[in-house]
Amino acid sequence: MSTPTVRAPDRAALPDLPPRPGAASRYVRETLLLVGRQLRAIPRVPERLSDVTIQPVIFTLLFLYVFGSAIAIPGTRYQDYLLPGLVAQSIAFGVIGAGTATATDFSTGVIDRFRSLPVSRLAVITAQVIGQVLEQILGLAIVIGLGLALGWRPDVGPLDVLLLVGLILLGLIAFTWFGVLLGMLVRSSDAMQGVGFAIVLPLSFLAGTFVPIEGMAAVPRFIGEWDPLSTVVAAIRQVSQGTEATGSWPLEHPVIGMVLWCTLIIGVCVPLALRRFRTTSAA
Amino acid sequence: MPPTTPAVETDGLTRRYGDFTAVDALDLRVERGTVVSVLGPNGAGKTTTVRMLATLIAPTSGTARVGGHDVVREADAVRGVISLTGQFAALEGNLTARENLVLMGRLRGHGRAGAATIADHLIDRFDIGEFRDRLIKGLSGGQRRRVDLAASLVVQPELLVLDEPTTGLDPRSRQVVWQTVRDLVAEGVTLLLTTQYLEEADALADRIVLIDHGREVAEGTPTELKARIGEQRVDVVAVDAAGVEALRSALAPRFDVTVPAGGRTVSIPAPDESLDLERVAAVVRESGVPIDELALRRPTLDDAFLALTGRPPSESASPETAEVAA
Repeated sequence: MSTPTVRAPDRAALPDLPPRPGAASRYVRETLLLVGRQLRAIPRVPERLSDVTIQPVIFTLLFLYVFGSAIAIPGTRYQDYLLPGLVAQSIAFGVIGAGTATATDFSTGVIDRFRSLPVSRLAVITAQVIGQVLEQILGLAIVIGLGLALGWRPDVGPLDVLLLVGLILLGLIAFTWFGVLLGMLVRSSDAMQGVGFAIVLPLSFLAGTFVPIEGMAAVPRFIGEWDPLSTVVAAIRQVSQGTEATGSWPLEHPVIGMVLWCTLIIGVCVPLALRRFRTTSAA
Repeated sequence: MPPTTPAVETDGLTRRYGDFTAVDALDLRVERGTVVSVLGPNGAGKTTTVRMLATLIAPTSGTARVGGHDVVREADAVRGVISLTGQFAALEGNLTARENLVLMGRLRGHGRAGAATIADHLIDRFDIGEFRDRLIKGLSGGQRRRVDLAASLVVQPELLVLDEPTTGLDPRSRQVVWQTVRDLVAEGVTLLLTTQYLEEADALADRIVLIDHGREVAEGTPTELKARIGEQRVDVVAVDAAGVEALRSALAPRFDVTVPAGGRTVSIPAPDESLDLERVAAVVRESGVPIDELALRRPTLDDAFLALTGRPPSESASPETAEVAA
């Protein structure tokens, strides 16, 4: 082993810090830099990438061909019933992805590093959310693409497509904020996976994603009727296939219901997450 | 900041977690251009203190000013002058060493070209070249620590805080850290260094603040503290508990004997070093008590605590044990 060579420092030759721009342009610049950091990391974490790529593919194939053969939904093909549900489920699974990534960042101390810099803390957390939303969009594109290839035929006009895109983005933003908040509270990526699946998986099965809520027993039916994910499923299904749902006010008005649910989640989670972000640190 | 403003000045700085007081009314002062070492065992409150200075956690009570800026009310200004390198390398594991350095430079406000120039300079300075394009998650602990230290220098800080910079490091990386500290001091950077190694504080610091249970227990220059601790000592290790008592009674009439609780060691200050070693050896031989070992030792953190506070530190601070986050 050679002796360490620490060269005489020569800072004089290094560039000086440029003048500091205003707060707003710094916020945008810092957010973009931090989103860039997340996007560059995605292809380097195969297991995380598989959460948004392989996992939805497996779900789609499994339900379409294994359970789908035994499930008959009156008046519709199972593809047209299942795929809107899977789109909604992918949105909800963003909670787990965002939470796990956030918990990892907190446990490695990299977030503390950013927080100790003269960098807007709002930029750090915004970048976290934007990066996660972009990652989830990748997963959704795979689900939608695979669904269309396997015979899903949405019944949509151009306005419906716009509405659908808007709803999906709103849902992703809301559930990602929820995930970021959970990730900060749980702080261990393994625990976050556990907590995330324990919350999201049952709610997603009760939400009419795979089988209609109307056929369930009284208790699960009641939960399903008021499950926020049911509203998301019903909203996507109504816009993409024109299917009506019944059972509760949010299910009968799913688009408004989904907007309200997402607004509520954002309204609760954003202030809590920001507060948590200011006061918490890793380790 | 005006040249007379201390780099760090805390007044009654306190941080509580529920009933537990991690940092208890600490008054810390670091003059500009000096190196101050906060020395203490695991859980003494070192990390909590530096995290408050770096604006990562807020004090429960008391105040702290860094470069004249209040850490709560002027947090952004504090972040502009301080750089913290923690015990655990705080880097993006999925970026390469160089990408991390460039990102840090850009986050500090440099443009793409400027950040790249600085990253390459730091890669050269910290001997990172051979692993510059490898992902952080694949590097060894020592390599990561070097990148981490480089990352905290993308902009020359007024105050560099190193939280246990060499805990768990291999000798080569430790040497790089020590040399860097000396270079930075020569460049006029103020340094606050926490450590659990007396040797490290002695080698690098102008002043040492010894803390335990979040409180200051002693403060002074290394020379002053060593005069109180005793430069060296002779340790006699008995074969059993009865032997400890026999050694104590044989040595006590002639020497200032301490027997750390629970051990088989009898310890005697040795300001005259090998002369004291010979004197103690003679008495031990005369007493006829069988022993396992007789040796001249440099003082450890435990000795410092015994000498300065009359009691051992709150938690055994074995230098071999890496500290877990406090």
